[in-house]
Amino acid sequence: MTQISLRGLYKSFGATQVVRDLNLEIADQEFLVLLGPSGCGKTTTMRMVAGLEQATHGEIAFDGRRMNEVPTQSRDVAMVFQNYGLYPHMTVAENIGYPLKLRGINGADRQAAIERAADRVELGAYLQRRPRELSGGQRQRVALARSIVRTPKVFLMDEPLSNLDAKLRVAMRAEIKHLAYELQVTTLYVTHDQVEAMTLAHRVAIMKDGVIVQLASPEEIYDDPVNTYVAGFIGSPPMNLIEVNAQASWANAENGARIEVAAPRQGPITLGIRAEDVQLTDMDRAHFSVEVFAFELLGDSTLVTIKLGQTGVTVKGDKSLRLKFGDRVGVRLDPAHLYWFESATGLRIR
Amino acid sequence: MLTQSAHAASDRALIPGYRQPAHDKAGDWLRQCVVFVGVCAIVLPIFWITLTAFKLPKDVYSLSAAFNFTVTLENLRTVFEHPWNLGSKIVNSLVVATSTVLLAIPMATMAAYAFSRFEFRFKKTIFLVVIASQFIPAAVIVLPYFLMFKQLGMLDTRSALVLVNMSIVLPYAVWMMKGFIDAVPVEIEESAMVDGAHRARVIWEIVVPTALPGIITAAVFCFTLTWNEFLFALIISKQDALTLPIGLIGFRTERGDLWELMAAGGILITAPMFILSLLVQKQFIQSLTAGSVR
Repeated sequence: MTQISLRGLYKSFGATQVVRDLNLEIADQEFLVLLGPSGCGKTTTMRMVAGLEQATHGEIAFDGRRMNEVPTQSRDVAMVFQNYGLYPHMTVAENIGYPLKLRGINGADRQAAIERAADRVELGAYLQRRPRELSGGQRQRVALARSIVRTPKVFLMDEPLSNLDAKLRVAMRAEIKHLAYELQVTTLYVTHDQVEAMTLAHRVAIMKDGVIVQLASPEEIYDDPVNTYVAGFIGSPPMNLIEVNAQASWANAENGARIEVAAPRQGPITLGIRAEDVQLTDMDRAHFSVEVFAFELLGDSTLVTIKLGQTGVTVKGDKSLRLKFGDRVGVRLDPAHLYWFESATGLRIR
Repeated sequence: MLTQSAHAASDRALIPGYRQPAHDKAGDWLRQCVVFVGVCAIVLPIFWITLTAFKLPKDVYSLSAAFNFTVTLENLRTVFEHPWNLGSKIVNSLVVATSTVLLAIPMATMAAYAFSRFEFRFKKTIFLVVIASQFIPAAVIVLPYFLMFKQLGMLDTRSALVLVNMSIVLPYAVWMMKGFIDAVPVEIEESAMVDGAHRARVIWEIVVPTALPGIITAAVFCFTLTWNEFLFALIISKQDALTLPIGLIGFRTERGDLWELMAAGGILITAPMFILSLLVQKQFIQSLTAGSVR
């Protein structure tokens, strides 16, 4: 039952400002994901919540109580690290039980809690192994079990899945989601993977250069991005961003293709459209026609890449679609799903 | 595929002088010779001393008895008798070396941890000074030590030898151990802190066990240095605190060098180190390869 408040948070390392005037309220039991590329300040923000870094300015509070001066070991947070952070000289059971040992819980009580946590992540059979004898996925489970063996005020997860292979990542993602639902502990989760953010979060905070660019639910971030940075980060494939020169009732793309859409203003402007909203049609309905640059089969759908000058545009096609390099296709941009951004600033024009 | 390999071929042709390195047989042979000579240089003297220790005095200088001699245990017995009394010297050496290690290793661990993990002013300079103190020749500082201990009335005591040996051993130990602690990922310390451990507990329960192979290596190294230390022991001890290496010069008498006794003493000096290194070999190799396998 913990609400986290970050107010006017700044962090500098020497002359480098890593986090700038960050304000964030994380509600009790909320799963909040900090999303951004490496170096955007998301991990530093989490480390400040954990107490592993000191904020240069600003306040961190749990349930209204200022935490800045409270040392890490007294904050009652649990953290899962990217490299697991397991103790190499301890067995799995000792690793999981260490937080309890530090709290003076011994004997049968500790053993029972260790087994409960291990069973929850299906590690019961590995309790006597050492971390080096485990696979990456199993190590990550040990780290998870260690964080859930007690009920902390806050869960902190620092890219917990990025060292796992793709298949395992999907499985562990579901497990983390289920754990969060079961345990109902306030969770701050850091990742650079937008799929993790979309699938896990109640709310996503997208960061860039130490600042939160947009803070909203995954749906809102997908459907209503505030700028080209967010639009280009979220979705797989991310939103197509096409530089056009807008006229009264049409716009010219870089290669001269004429797109029959009405822009909110004339002159240079960025047109955004998601891959699923671009249609491949016959020539008479098409906005323009163009050669296929690449065609990819995904199984449940297909991806067609076309080029407007230097700009690649991805189109999501039906699973039965088959095209070859150089085939000429008609392209129509669904006017109901267009986004417009200022070319210079990338800001959304509504 | 065809076009790809054609590409590769043309890429090679573009690099002037491209040639696959040939197997250098002469080089192999030379390397083996160097290794053989090196092994001989290390092993033969030890082998020779071992043989001499079991010879009668008359056989020591005799070439015909180089390998064909009467084996005797007399020398190993004689060195413990008056006037040699190697027994008390072994005790002195053991006490001095063990005390030095027991004091130096915890101190070095804490210093190394500070150098490895904390940022403080003049860190690099201080570390350099610690290392550089090793470049001062022992002969330069032995006199000040002598005068100091004389003033303190500590001449010819084991405590004085322990203090001197600590000054020799600590910089090495700090330097070695900093390397081992550097290799312990900071993440596991942070992990322990998040789990609820104070710094002292983190060091004792996480860092020390993880760096243990390295700590043992440093301890063995320090023990060996102290065990073999000669110059300071020669100047500072006189009668009561004499150590094994000083005991050995006693075999240079007016009647000449008593090689068979010196060899027997040499075995007594070498054997404990030999056994110790066998015992910790596993740890030693672990610590040398740590990091490469992580």
